[in-house]
Amino acid sequence: MNRSDIIATTKRFLSEEFEVSPDAIEPENNLKETLDLDSLDYVDLVVVIEDNLGFKPTADDFKTVATFEDFYQLVERKLQ
Amino acid sequence: MLINQSAVKTIIPQREPFIMIDHLLRADDSGFSTSFEIKEDNVFFENGTVSSSAIIENIAQTCAAGFGYLGSQAGEGEAKLGFIGAISKLTVSGTANLNDTVETNVTILNSFENIHLVEGTATVNGEPIVYCQMKIVQA
Repeated sequence: MNRSDIIATTKRFLSEEFEVSPDAIEPENNLKETLDLDSLDYVDLVVVIEDNLGFKPTADDFKTVATFEDFYQLVERKLQ
Repeated sequence: MLINQSAVKTIIPQREPFIMIDHLLRADDSGFSTSFEIKEDNVFFENGTVSSSAIIENIAQTCAAGFGYLGSQAGEGEAKLGFIGAISKLTVSGTANLNDTVETNVTILNSFENIHLVEGTATVNGEPIVYCQMKIVQA
């Protein structure tokens, strides 16, 4: 899966799960704020990431993620 | 049976009259099962049946018992407090009446830190009466 595939897949499943516009999912935007995540939502986030990208992120993984660009880099590392 | 009625208080934090499970039948990393007989002195008993709220609590206590049992097996000591963080996809399709035995199966769908996403199905005579997903937060 290349960067374009990761972005397209991420926009699709996150916009569906968290009911935000795909246009709001831009690399420079803050993931937590854009998706309006509270602590309980993270388990849902883990579920959709596992279902759509094939890996299960850990709490430590999320410490490296502030923006969607950070998230895309995390996905690339995990899928290597 | 893993834990019987007399010992169930060792693995859950709830106390009478709010205990909504009798026996822990199964507990492993994938999920838990309990049984519970509906009696007239149940605090939720009214007009021959218990409310669906009681069954939702039964599902939550099935989680408490399962996690409590696994914790005790791991030497973690007293049962940890747990909280229902969210309930979703609730379906009520039947009732539990006097002398019915409710059998409840919980499957752990995913976990993140101390938050567990589970689905629970309570059945009477093999027929589902309540289904829901819950987020259980362990303190």
